[in-house]
Amino acid sequence: MIEVLFFGPVAERIGKNQMKVECRPGIRLQDLRDELAALYPQAFEIVCLIAANGEHVRDLSLPLADNSVVAFMAKFSGG
Amino acid sequence: MKEAIRIQQEDFSQDEEIRALQASSKRMGGIATFLGCARDFSEGREISEISFDAYGSMALSELNRLRFDAIAKFDLLDARIVHRIGVVHAGEQIVFIAAGAEHRVAALEACRWMIDELKLRVPIWKKEITPQGDAWVTPHP
Repeated sequence: MIEVLFFGPVAERIGKNQMKVECRPGIRLQDLRDELAALYPQAFEIVCLIAANGEHVRDLSLPLADNSVVAFMAKFSGG
Repeated sequence: MKEAIRIQQEDFSQDEEIRALQASSKRMGGIATFLGCARDFSEGREISEISFDAYGSMALSELNRLRFDAIAKFDLLDARIVHRIGVVHAGEQIVFIAAGAEHRVAALEACRWMIDELKLRVPIWKKEITPQGDAWVTPHP
């Protein structure tokens, strides 16, 4: 399974802060993003940053392995 | 002594942080600090409190990386960052950054750089709570 995390404004729009997605052979970050964006279009309108296993990711072709942790995040506003 | 990088719900003491920074080296000739506070007014609205959410483990890791980057980039002797999460009331402290260097210019520049980078790199989000309702904050440049 892939663990998907949401925080702050994205979590609020989705109505939850985490979910599990089945890890299929060959699944890439782009696939996961597209699937979730279709389910939660309002939340993904504000997603502009993605992390995989705690690291910023810009390349959406990143293959995802079982037990990956992916966070779809809005622009940060700390400080 | 407390860790140099922390994310915590409770308030912090600037004096304690500065003392801890000073204790790290007697070569320190300049310390610059930044204190971010919760305003009670923003974009025409009264703010009663601010609620912070964070991707805790990643935020801590990014803050640690930020500290190491600042030490290397500005040749600092040490640096400390404390950021609060949870609910912070208007007028309270949110974030504290301290940079210590042999000379003032490096300390001042590093402090400015760290708060700017923190806003870009560290996964923390703030929501302003107002009498009219709540709103997640859109980052300022």
